[in-house]
Amino acid sequence: MLYNFVFVLLFMLGFYTILIKKNLIKMVIGLNIMEAAVFFWVIAVNYRGGVIPILKNGVEVVDVVNPVPQALILTGIVIGASTTAFLLTLIIEINKYANSINMDFLKGLRD
Amino acid sequence: MKGINTLINKKSLYNLLKKREFHVSFVLLLLSVFLFSNFYYVPEQEIFSNSTAEHIINSGVKETGSLNLVTAILYDYRAFDSLGESTVIFAAVSAIVLILSFKTLPVSSKGLSFIVKRTFGILTPFVFLYAVYVITHGHLSPGGGFQGGVVLGTISIIFSIVYGSAYDYENYSPKAKTILETGGALLFVFLGGLGFIIGGYFLSNFNPTRSGLGTLISAGSIPYINIGIGFKVGAGLAIIFYTMIQKTYVEE
Amino acid sequence: MIILEYLLIFLMLISAFLAVIFQEELISIICLSVFSVSLTALYLVYKAPDVALAEAVIGAGLNTALFMTAISQVRSGKKHYISEEDK
Repeated sequence: MLYNFVFVLLFMLGFYTILIKKNLIKMVIGLNIMEAAVFFWVIAVNYRGGVIPILKNGVEVVDVVNPVPQALILTGIVIGASTTAFLLTLIIEINKYANSINMDFLKGLRD
Repeated sequence: MKGINTLINKKSLYNLLKKREFHVSFVLLLLSVFLFSNFYYVPEQEIFSNSTAEHIINSGVKETGSLNLVTAILYDYRAFDSLGESTVIFAAVSAIVLILSFKTLPVSSKGLSFIVKRTFGILTPFVFLYAVYVITHGHLSPGGGFQGGVVLGTISIIFSIVYGSAYDYENYSPKAKTILETGGALLFVFLGGLGFIIGGYFLSNFNPTRSGLGTLISAGSIPYINIGIGFKVGAGLAIIFYTMIQKTYVEE
Repeated sequence: MIILEYLLIFLMLISAFLAVIFQEELISIICLSVFSVSLTALYLVYKAPDVALAEAVIGAGLNTALFMTAISQVRSGKKHYISEEDK
């Protein structure tokens, strides 16, 4: 039950950062924290005691940790890194043309 | 005195309630109560009989020939998802190069001091050896194509930071990086087509148990898919880093 | 094992809280790197070595490097030179 508390706390922390902070880079940091919370929860739910999923010489061990969520989380981590890289290039391009990364200043430019 | 104090307290409480942080915190508190009360009922995970995980644990080694079950899932049972993931990396690299390409000549940095350059001259071949080990031993120990590919990409990052980006441009030009990346992706699709000819469906594993169990050349097509993905991911991340550090201002 | 798990969860929560609360961007990025390292150790306690390797190289290595390049391009000071044929 501990992992439920930790997941909700981290998820709300990242979400609060995206909604409140005015710096664009802080929003990307909040997105990273939210994704890490979800990955942590999926691995923590599936741990019921056991050994790592690498079998030695084909000997069958009955008590092996479930290997399916680990393959899914691996894909998720790589996609999260690609998304972060693309968001940071958009921030660099915004700074080149408006010379600021403050959200209030950029909203005023629209008028 | 007492009247003025209560007036000031009421006004500051009213100002506090009007702030944006208070409204957002209240909504997030309700959302967290809702999430927690629903996640409370997720059962304690055990491996049910006749499910996917049971089948993979019992007969994964016999069917694919690799000792690492996570690699067997990622490159044999679910190899199509790995193809989609490398497509996502390819799309991100293309979008970044499209946005940030410059027409003027970029300015190069000079690199760090002499001690750091000599230390990394000794250290970099061992990093390369470790990357090749993690890529090719994906089916025997923890590792695989994605992890080893990122380690391979950090060699270009080391060249850019320690020796200056002009050194990276001469020894490891963007044309060579593009050839490596597209070569890795084409190797993946070619192995899929080969599986289609031999096995009957796209990306099937050909001859999984021909050689011994636990040696380096075993498990059919899994080591070659690992090599293709390793090159693709490494070259892609090197292209991203090299594109993002270009500066085009003239020094005053 | 249980003490190690609780200590790592505590370190993770503290570093995430510190990453949110500071005003400068450089301190937030370093706290995010500490968060990634503690998450790697936690994946090893939960017996998932492949995920731990991926989180170590990507989370603590590549993400930090990308954030640092973004900050160095964004710091105000020199105006960027956009040539006439680019406009």
